[in-house]
Amino acid sequence: MKPMIKSLMIVLVTAVVIHLAVIFSAPNLLMAVAFRRLSAEGKMVNQMIHPPRTTQASRAIVRPSPDLAYSSCAYDLSRGPVRVKASRATDYMSVSVYAANSDNIFAINDRQAPDGVDLVIVGKGQAPPSGTALVVQSPTQRGIVLERRLAPSAEAFAEAELARKQDVCAPL
Amino acid sequence: MDATAPCPLLNGRWVAYRWFTYKALERRRYDSLARHVAEEGQSVRAALKMGGLVLIGAGLGLVSALAMLNQGMNIGKETVQGWVGSHVSGDRTADPYTRALVARAGLLALTQAETLYFNRTTNEAGKPLRADCTYQLEGGPQPARWWSVTIYAADNYLPVNGDDAQSADATRMAALTKPQDLGRWKVRVSPQKGDATHWISSKNAGDYALTIRLYNPQDGARNDFRSIALPTIKTVSCPSVPA
Repeated sequence: MKPMIKSLMIVLVTAVVIHLAVIFSAPNLLMAVAFRRLSAEGKMVNQMIHPPRTTQASRAIVRPSPDLAYSSCAYDLSRGPVRVKASRATDYMSVSVYAANSDNIFAINDRQAPDGVDLVIVGKGQAPPSGTALVVQSPTQRGIVLERRLAPSAEAFAEAELARKQDVCAPL
Repeated sequence: MDATAPCPLLNGRWVAYRWFTYKALERRRYDSLARHVAEEGQSVRAALKMGGLVLIGAGLGLVSALAMLNQGMNIGKETVQGWVGSHVSGDRTADPYTRALVARAGLLALTQAETLYFNRTTNEAGKPLRADCTYQLEGGPQPARWWSVTIYAADNYLPVNGDDAQSADATRMAALTKPQDLGRWKVRVSPQKGDATHWISSKNAGDYALTIRLYNPQDGARNDFRSIALPTIKTVSCPSVPA
């Protein structure tokens, strides 16, 4: 009976350790996958990308809304702060910043920024550049900026497409 | 010893003595070798057993963790009229399970201040939604700036059916409703459009979920999910034999 209990304990302890390891690392792992996908395997970092309208073939990020125009920027602060600009919108628009652990560290919408969004993401220990009004402190060096513009129809999407052409995500 | 000495007996005794001691030594060597092999075998067996147990444990840990992650958003949340919402999605203070679940089924989702997400996988009777059934989704104005209802297949992506009918949203519903409807709207969720005015296709959707997004929700809605009159679902028909 005793070796049996010992065996069970070994199985149980390992199972708990692995289970918790997966649960705790899931946000970071899944963000790393998203980062890779949204940066074309690391080739398009610190630049805004504008994928076409969401369809049944959209597989980059889970649960995409077919009624929104998404733009994204995989940012890397290892060479300094990154500036993000989103032009003004006539309908709902928001810019949100996610750290590498999947935390939504910042979000702003068109009502809060009627003239468009202009912000600077700085890493730990990086001094925010003088003169910038909106500074987002990122706890991790890498992360993702996601922009949403309301676009429930082809016409609305075309309008959003035009507006987002001026959007920026670039090292300062 | 003088080999030429004529003493065959002594010589024979000596040979016998040497022979016996040699045998004894050999036996001892053999015994120790055998013991060694046996011990080695035991430790190899123990190591194999240990490895096997660890492997089983790791497998159980992995499978249980993935099962948790694949449950979708239906855990530890508040259920309102059959819709499951979370007060913590995208929140930094969420517990590890919620964080992992949100990362799995709602990565890059917005916080509650910006958007409320509600998910439903069951009909009015609490039975799982079926891709081959016809449902009527009915609702009124939502306490938000903009809202949408979207269908997602079990893999958390839009169902692949070529119908390009994956959602209903506030702007299209407003365009479809007449003034006398007072903002009430209806959407059919079914594999075929039929005579529906607005339709969400469940063709090839498998065990699907409907998600309602409330963008820029009113404070009251955010603080009390129960105050929201979320859309209702009604089963219109189901084939008697599931397709």
